[in-house]
Amino acid sequence: MNEFINVTLQLAEGFKTTLGLFFLTLLFSIPLGLLVAVCARSHFTPLRILIRGFVYIIRGTPLLLQLMIVVYLPGIAFQYPITKWPIFGGDVAMAYFYGALVAFVINYACYFSEIFRGGIENIPKGQYEAAEVLGMTKSQIFFKVILLQVIRNILAPMSNEIITLVKDTALARTVSVMEMLFFAEEILTNQYIVWPLFYTGVFYLVFSAFLTFLFNLAEKKLSKYWN
Amino acid sequence: MKKLFALLLSLIMMLSLCACGSETSAETETDSDYDYITGNGYLVIGITEYQPMNYYDENGVLTGFDTEFAQEVCSRLGVEAQFQIIDWDMKETELMSRNIDCIWNGLTVTEERRENMDFTTSYLTNRQCVVINSANADTYTDAASLASAMISAESGSAGETAVLADASLSTANYTPSSSQADALLALKAGNYDAIVIDYTMATASVGNGDYADMMILEDIALANEEYAIGFRLGSDMTARVNEIIEEMIADGTLAALAEKYDMTDLYEATLN
Repeated sequence: MNEFINVTLQLAEGFKTTLGLFFLTLLFSIPLGLLVAVCARSHFTPLRILIRGFVYIIRGTPLLLQLMIVVYLPGIAFQYPITKWPIFGGDVAMAYFYGALVAFVINYACYFSEIFRGGIENIPKGQYEAAEVLGMTKSQIFFKVILLQVIRNILAPMSNEIITLVKDTALARTVSVMEMLFFAEEILTNQYIVWPLFYTGVFYLVFSAFLTFLFNLAEKKLSKYWN
Repeated sequence: MKKLFALLLSLIMMLSLCACGSETSAETETDSDYDYITGNGYLVIGITEYQPMNYYDENGVLTGFDTEFAQEVCSRLGVEAQFQIIDWDMKETELMSRNIDCIWNGLTVTEERRENMDFTTSYLTNRQCVVINSANADTYTDAASLASAMISAESGSAGETAVLADASLSTANYTPSSSQADALLALKAGNYDAIVIDYTMATASVGNGDYADMMILEDIALANEEYAIGFRLGSDMTARVNEIIEEMIADGTLAALAEKYDMTDLYEATLN
């Protein structure tokens, strides 16, 4: 019993990092994704091609590879290792955490941007025209007519992506971010206890259940705008 | 067939144990362990099965570095080598109860164990070493110069233990890596100033391919794990076997054995 409590506390320590990575990724990747979606629909062709090319590269390569690029490439290609950046003040763990965060934000922003673009493009053109005839301004049209419908449209694909993100945070351990799986493996190598490795699944499941509950709630709240 | 063989083997083992027990009681208590063992005509060696020290090859024959080493020492002693698989946690009890005469199985020399047994001279060293980028050769010359550097080792490895045990390195900015290979890559990226890995791994990778511009800081001596044979406290066997080990070092038998099991580095590290 004592061992169970000790292990739970140690894993909880790692789960804090997991949650930090999760929430910070969402916080930055959703606005960035919106920006990318808008740029990808730009009428300025060079910008549109540039952004779509970038989204193609990010979506076409593994997140694991992107993590390694962020963490190792600055040092290998530019002799400017991420751990030596002044903003981290010599804190290696922090450097790795924010390095991984950058990779996650960029990766998820690109996936989100495609969901947003689909959501926006799904609104019939007639609605814009009707709103214009009624004399609404462009920003009025976007915030009062379009936005809520977009949110309703993208809710299901977004919930998919966000739940995937919960589990993707485990990839960060490969670049020495001390998230929950890292702690579980540390328990294994130092104390020779195997079960915590599998027990981590409970943490992910509980957290995913919580997120699913939130999404169901949001869907219900939005359903009154359904028709 | 395999089961039958195992059954037969365990029967023989049990019989030999019984035989051993009865002979022990018949033996008059003598102070000399050497006389006792030569009197028996065999040395009972406590082992556990693990590669590359003591293990069964594809033909079911017990082999390994320690197996061959022990067989050679026994033949020079003029006794037969009898290997006895033991429960590693019970090794001290097995030794004191004379169920076995020595523990010879990659046994690490520790101060706590010295209270329960006598160690022969060490014959292998599981050595850890510090690796840096050659560009920093002027900055990092000894352990003291690494006192505030960023260093890493594989989480839970002997290297990590060595870092935490070293007076200077333990004050450094330490972050664990998930593997020795990851630590090397991060060193290449300059994410760390120095890493601590197995000497065998270091010599194999440093100086090759993209790791050409790295170097091992040979001057830094880290707390190493040394392997030795454990005899009963106060046993005169320790001195006898030490003599034979000296002989085997001098005539190159031990070096040849180390080479056979790809442990030349560990062997040579012990000599230095």
